[in-house]
Formats: sequence, structure tokens, C-alpha cells
Amino acid sequence: MPKLRSLLLAAVALMALTAPGAAQSDYPNRAIRMVIPFPPGGSNDVVGRMVSTALGEKLGRQIIVDNRAGAGGSIGTAMVATAPPDGYTLGVVSIAHAVNPWMYKLPYDPKAFAPVGLMATGTNVLVIHPSLPVRSVKELVALAKQKPGELQYASAGVGSFQHLGTELFKLEAGIDLLHVPFKGGGPSMNDVLGGHTKIMMSSLVQTTPHIKSGRLLALATGGKKRNPVLPDVPTVAEAGVPTYEALNWWGIVAPAGTPQAIIDKLNAALSQVQDMPDVQKQFDLQGAAVQKMSPADFGKFVLTEMARWERVVKQANIKAQ
Amino acid sequence: MDLFNNLIFGFGVAFSLQNLLYCAIGVTVGTLIGVLPGIGPLATIAMLLPLTFNVPPVAALIMLAGIYYGAQYGGSTTAILVNLPGETSAVVTCIDGHQMARQGRAGPALAIAAIGSFVAGTFGTLLIAIAGPPLAEVALKFGAPEYFALMLMGLVAAAVLSTGDMAKSLAMVAMGLLLGIVGTDVNTGVQRFSFGVAELSDGIGFIVIAVGVFAIGEIVINLGNPEERRFFTDKIGRLMPSAEDLKKSLAPILRGTALGSFFGVLPGTGPAIASFSSYMLEKKVAKDPSRFGHGAIEGVAGPESANNADAQCKFIPMLTLGLPASGVMALMLGALTIQGIQPGPEVMTTRPELFWGLIASMWIGNALLVILNLPMIGLWVKLLKVPYRLLFPAIMAFSAVGIYSVNNSSFDIYLTALFGIVGFIWLKLGCNPAPMLLGYVLGPMMEEHLRRAMLMSKGDPSVFVTRPLALAFVLATVAILVIMVLPAVKARREVIQG
Amino acid sequence: MQKLEFRDNKDFWSGVMLVIVGAASVIVARNYAFGTSLRMGPGYFPTVLGSVLVLFGLYLMVAGLRRGEKIDPDWSLRGLILLPTSLVLFGILMSYTGFIPAMMVLVFGSAAAGTDFRPVEALILAIGLTVFTAVIFIWGIGLPYPLLMNW
Repeated sequence: MPKLRSLLLAAVALMALTAPGAAQSDYPNRAIRMVIPFPPGGSNDVVGRMVSTALGEKLGRQIIVDNRAGAGGSIGTAMVATAPPDGYTLGVVSIAHAVNPWMYKLPYDPKAFAPVGLMATGTNVLVIHPSLPVRSVKELVALAKQKPGELQYASAGVGSFQHLGTELFKLEAGIDLLHVPFKGGGPSMNDVLGGHTKIMMSSLVQTTPHIKSGRLLALATGGKKRNPVLPDVPTVAEAGVPTYEALNWWGIVAPAGTPQAIIDKLNAALSQVQDMPDVQKQFDLQGAAVQKMSPADFGKFVLTEMARWERVVKQANIKAQ
Repeated sequence: MDLFNNLIFGFGVAFSLQNLLYCAIGVTVGTLIGVLPGIGPLATIAMLLPLTFNVPPVAALIMLAGIYYGAQYGGSTTAILVNLPGETSAVVTCIDGHQMARQGRAGPALAIAAIGSFVAGTFGTLLIAIAGPPLAEVALKFGAPEYFALMLMGLVAAAVLSTGDMAKSLAMVAMGLLLGIVGTDVNTGVQRFSFGVAELSDGIGFIVIAVGVFAIGEIVINLGNPEERRFFTDKIGRLMPSAEDLKKSLAPILRGTALGSFFGVLPGTGPAIASFSSYMLEKKVAKDPSRFGHGAIEGVAGPESANNADAQCKFIPMLTLGLPASGVMALMLGALTIQGIQPGPEVMTTRPELFWGLIASMWIGNALLVILNLPMIGLWVKLLKVPYRLLFPAIMAFSAVGIYSVNNSSFDIYLTALFGIVGFIWLKLGCNPAPMLLGYVLGPMMEEHLRRAMLMSKGDPSVFVTRPLALAFVLATVAILVIMVLPAVKARREVIQG
Repeated sequence: MQKLEFRDNKDFWSGVMLVIVGAASVIVARNYAFGTSLRMGPGYFPTVLGSVLVLFGLYLMVAGLRRGEKIDPDWSLRGLILLPTSLVLFGILMSYTGFIPAMMVLVFGSAAAGTDFRPVEALILAIGLTVFTAVIFIWGIGLPYPLLMNW
């Protein structure tokens, strides 16, 4: 009975996945769980799955992706915080991880994680509907100063990177725009394409097709350097708001107290994964670029990001809870 | 003729052995996950996505699309047989479909669901081919005021859904509106009714409420009423619909298809709205509305066609503009991106084999689904012969895994248990849960759009009459109100005069 | 006038339920900004809806006393307690022991709610369904749940 046999094999294999862990020198000796604190389909999920698959191959053990969505990513991240620090539970974190501490009452200490490494960073694009009579960041700022609080921008929701990235822009440019939140990136893009709200800052991958078709105009990109996908579009800093810089990023963390040897092994494997042309190509397609960091540097990076967004949340007086 | 040539080209692509195979795999997997409650196309596609990396883009998309619309077919099966909505869109099918099964008419109910879905799928496919791009443009014209006016019309029409006690039905709609509010307020980010529970910050899941109230609440009622159970398992009538059934279903299928296509084109509406609207319409135009809720075949034919047309037309914004109208569509866009294809308006011209191949495959897939589903009916109906004492623990098992799999969350399971008890109490008190679900679906969207419309207009309510599309819906709402109130007024006048 | 009987009056208790839910909603919503009719805050809808529910509830209480429709007396208490309990146990066991024990307890516990409960048959059913669901969901679809966890 081939069916029964394969069934038994599957059962044995799955039980083996949960067998007790041995010494950490032979880590990993069973499957690793990668908690993605967002639902399937979003950028966090796509990026996390891609790296998990490749990372599992490098480590010689399967990495099981576990989507635990909810509460802006804090439910899944809380699971990682409370998991045993044995290297068998990891979590994908994104810019939301640096924003959530200032938006929500979290059931965990946002700084108490063992950083593993950065996966990639992604660029945001400031786009407008063509019916808005401006063609550059300078003109946009001038128009906004003429009509404070009247121009409207769309975002994927209160506390989303589209929201905070634009709030940072408002602070740095000294202007007032009205925030119109939507339930997710799709609906907000829809509204801007229809010309109902006319300004949005969103990811490269979400905006590029519409920039190319002329339905949206790109005024600037949010990174330090110009993005190779849109070489003619200046950065926000070049276009007149010199202090502005905001990036999306994705990284991996482990529960605090995970042995350093395991962290180092994971970081080394991640670094190899980041060198794979296939993986780099996939990141390109997601509008993101691979960026390597040591665990210690990634830890510092996360703290800097937290400080940046704490300032924005407090100065822009954004409240949720 | 261009369209004709394009379609022939598309069928050429879709009829290759490889693409046919992927189409068949997709619709089979889709049917399976559609039958199983809770686990939906979103989770399945997310998990199968990595498998498609090494498959050509056309084949990958054909398979993923097959899973998606296959699930809409499968969703009706458990709804009809055991009152368990396999997919969100199948909740409405429970109302009359399950009653038909209790009367020994499970076969015709399943068959009409499949036939209706096929007609709708065919029409939806044609619509994408003929008018995809212009329709997507029209959909973009819908801003917050238009969506609100449209939902208002739906809510007013919902009064029609009430069986018997109007006050109770309307109260249940309000109850649903309130349940829909739980979670993060989109407009301000404030958490409402979540009582500090992180899991509640994204609201109560549709499937949690639907399974809790419809499936578990009903099982508890059945357990207290042994007679009804015997009644339910003993009678199994004919498998295929009679000529009379077909005649009755024809118009509802066509109307359901039209409604479903309309809602399908609009990205801001969920899958349940199309089927609810169709149900309400059928009930309104029926000569004898009292049959609804007691096994009216029109109540299966209309909504099942509507949800399938909706599912097909959700492809329009995705294929023509690169806009995801739902989570599943976002995943498909993701699949394209991973394949190195930049989704967007250019796909139609730069990758015609993708666009036309997919469209042709959707029609083939729909045909496959009918071929797959009709012979299965005999098998499904046998499920009703399983003694209830074995059947209901199995329903519990599948419901539990399905719900758990949505968010991998134990909390959702506890919430389902709670809604099981609530549903039982509602049924005992004679409070019909169907209007509640409609309120739950429409409520949060209405509030969101109304408040957004007011935010954007700076508190000026005239947006609802100065924008032509919004005005049209407002006028239609008034018309519905008048039509509903007039008979009552007339009746009263006749009483006075007579 | 007939005797006012509300002990098992269907509509009366429907009304009571609506009043409780509506009032609770209004009270909780006082924590959220109400806004104005044209610029609604997060508290606007819950307050309005809660009030509407209270009004419907009061109407039903009165109407119920007048109509006097009775609640069906079969209470199926066994199912009402056992089914939700089995589900809750399933949720707990999924987090702490894995899929197999969780599913076994759920199926057996649910079966025990039936009026003609047969323990041996229920046990076989539990084993059968556990194997079946494990094959479909974990093996077939690939859901990431361990079959058994170790402590």
C-alpha cells in the first residue's frame, strides 16, 4: 500500500522535526520556524519566504514559514519574543518593528531581541496624480504652503510606512498635508490612480508600473541615492528637502538570549544567501536591494530606526492604541 | 475581428498539454480547498507560490487562477450539504441551499450551483475579453462618496432580506454593523472594542462568525432536536434538477451573473456583497418571497452565479491596471513579479500570451469544473447518509482546522466557540443570523467610506449629490425606499377607504 | 388583558439581549471621540448603533409581552457545554501538545455531545479523522503544525 507507506513516512518525518534539540554545535538538527508577522502576499511575506527557502537550503534544514499576522505585526513579533532562545524560532522584522513601539502598547520589549542580520532595503517613491498642478518637489512644497492642510495624501493606514514616510516629509519640508488613510496599499493606490486623493508615497514595486504608463508622476525617491529603476527621478534630498531620508527594510531577529554561535552561523548563512544571483534578482523585482550587516551593526541600525520614527510619531502627534 | 483572433490565439495557448494540465490541477485543488471550511484560496496560493518559481509564467498563473475560482465552486458544496460555508461567498448559499438538502433536494441544489457558476464564469470571461480595460477605467471613478452611496443602497435593500419579523431583522443588521466595528478604526487608528486583546485589533474574522453561528450554533440546536436530524438524513431525492427547477433558475442565474460582474469590477467590494445582493434581488422579484429561507432554488442559483461572476471579474483591475482588488489578486501580482513580469497596463500588449491565454484557460477551467462537479454530486449526496452522530464531529474537526489555519491562531478558535454559543442563543430567540452577517460585511466599509468622504470634503455632505455617480446611487436608494414603503401606504389607504 | 409571562418569552429576551449589547456598546464607545455629525470620530458609529439597538430592544420587549411567543424548550445543554469546550481544548492543545492530541480531544469531545454517544465508535472516529485531517492539511496542503510537541 504505497499510500499508507508514504503517509507513515510523512508522519515519521514530521515527528522528527520536533525531536529534542541536541548540543548547539550541530545546529540546526531540526526544522526552523520563521515567523512572518504579516499575512501571505505582502512584501514582508514575499521577501521572508524567498530568504527562508534559500536559507534552509544553506543550513541543510527546512525552514517552515509561519504567518502570524495582526496588530501591525506585533502579534507575530511577540511570539518570537517569547519563544525559546534556541535558534529554532526566528522572525522577519520590517520597518513596522521600529514604528510599533511608539504606536501600540506592546506585550514585549521591542529592544530585547537578538539581531541576526539585515536582508534588504527598499526605496519609496513620492508620486502624484497628473491632475495636481505641480511637477517637482519644490512646486509641491510651494503649493502646500499656499494651501496649508488642503492637499491630501493617501496611505495604507495609520502607522504604515506610507503614512510615516510622508509625515517625515511634512516635518522636514515644513508643510501641512491632510492624511487620508486606507485599509491597505491596494485601496490607497486605487484612490490615487482615480485622482481622488492626489499624493502618495509608496514602494517602488507598487508605483513603477503606473509611473511607466503615465498614470502617476514620480516627483522623488526617498533613499540616499537615486534608484537604478528610476534613474531620472531625483531623491527627495536632491529635490529640495535635504534632510529627508527614509527606507523600507527587512531583517531577521531571534529571541533575546539566543547563543552567539547560532546567531553567527545564521548571519553567515544569510550572507551567502544574499550573494546568490537568484535571490538578488528576486529582491530587484520587489524593488529592494540586498544589504549585508553584521548582527551587531543590524542591532544598532534597528535602534537608529526606532529613534527616527519615535521622533516622527511624537512630533507629528500620531496616536493609535 | 480583433477579439476573435485574440481569443483563438488565447485558446491556442491554453490548449497546450502543459497548460491544460496546470489548469486541471488548479481547479481540482481549488475545489478541494473550497469544500474545506476556513482554509481558503489565499493561504493555499501563498503556500503553493514557491512551487511556481520553476513553471513558465502562463502555466503558473493559469494554475493559481484555477485554485481561486475552483474554490468558489467548492465553497457551495459544504454550505448546501451541512450548512457549513466553505468560503466566505458561500454563506448566502447556506440559507436556502441547506434547506433544500433537508428536503431531500441536495442534488438539484448542488447541480444548479455548478450550472449557475458555469454560466457566470463564461460570461465573466467574455466580459474581461471584450471590455476589460474600459471597465477598469470606470471602476477608478469610484471614490469614497460613490462607495458609500452604493453600500447605503445595499443596506436599505437589506430590509428585504428580513423574514417575518422586520424589527428583529433590522436589529440583527445593526448587531452585525456593530460586530464589524471591532478592531482598528481605519480612519484614526484607534482600537475599538478590542479590550486590549491584540488578536482583536484586526477585527473578528468573517469565517469565525460564519462558522460559529451557522455551523456550530446549528449543530447544538440539532443535538437538542433528535427528530429533525432523522428527517434530514432519511430523504434523498433525485440528483439532477428537473425541467421546472431549470426554468425557475434561468432568470436568477442571469441576474446573479450581471450583479456579480458589476461588483466584481469594483475593487472596493468583498466577495460576500455580490452574493448577498443577488439573494436580496431574487427575494424582492419573487412572486412568493415567503418561500425564501425554506429551500427556494432561486436563492441558490442567483447568489452562486453572482459569486462566481464576481470572482472572474476581480481579474479585470488586476490584468488591465495591475491593481490588486483582493488579497488573492495581490498574491497573483506577486507571482507575476517573481516571474520577472512587471504587472501593469502594458501586460496586455507586451505579453499577449499571458493575458489571452489566461482568459481562455479560465473558460476551460470553468468547463472542467462542471465536468468535475456534476458527477461528484452523487458521491456528495451519499454524505448525507452518514449518521449524524458521526457527521457532526467531522464538521467540528474540519471547521477547527480551517479556522485555525487562517491566522494560525488559537484565539480565533476560542472566539468561534463563543460565537457558537451566541449563535445558539440567537437561533433559540428566533433572531435570524443572515441579516447580521450582511451588516457585518457592509458596516465597516460603509463607515470607512462615509468618514473618508467627509474627511476629504472637509465635512461638506454635498459630495453625495454633486458627483454624478454618487448621486445616481443616492437616487436609486430613494427609489428603493419608495418602492418598499408604497405598498404599505397603499394597503393602509385601501383599509381606510374600504 | 392576558397575564404577563416573560420567563420563556422569545421576543422579550431577544429585546433584553439587544438592550444589553446596545447599552454596553454606548458605554464603551464613550472612550472614543464622538466627533460631529459631519466629521464623525471613532465613537460616532458605535454610539449611534448602540442606541438603535437599545430602541429595537425596548420595542421587542414590549411587543414580546404582548405576543407571548414561547422559546422552544429543548435546550440541548450537553451540546451547548461540550462543543465549545472541545473547541477551546483544541485551541489550547494546538499551542502546547501539537496536532494529534488536539484533534483527538476535539473529535472525541464533540462526539460525546451527541445523544446516542458510543465511546468505542467515537474513539475510532477520532483516530480516523485525525489521520485524515493530518494527511490533507499538514501533509497535503503543508500547514506548518507539529503533529506532536515535546516538552
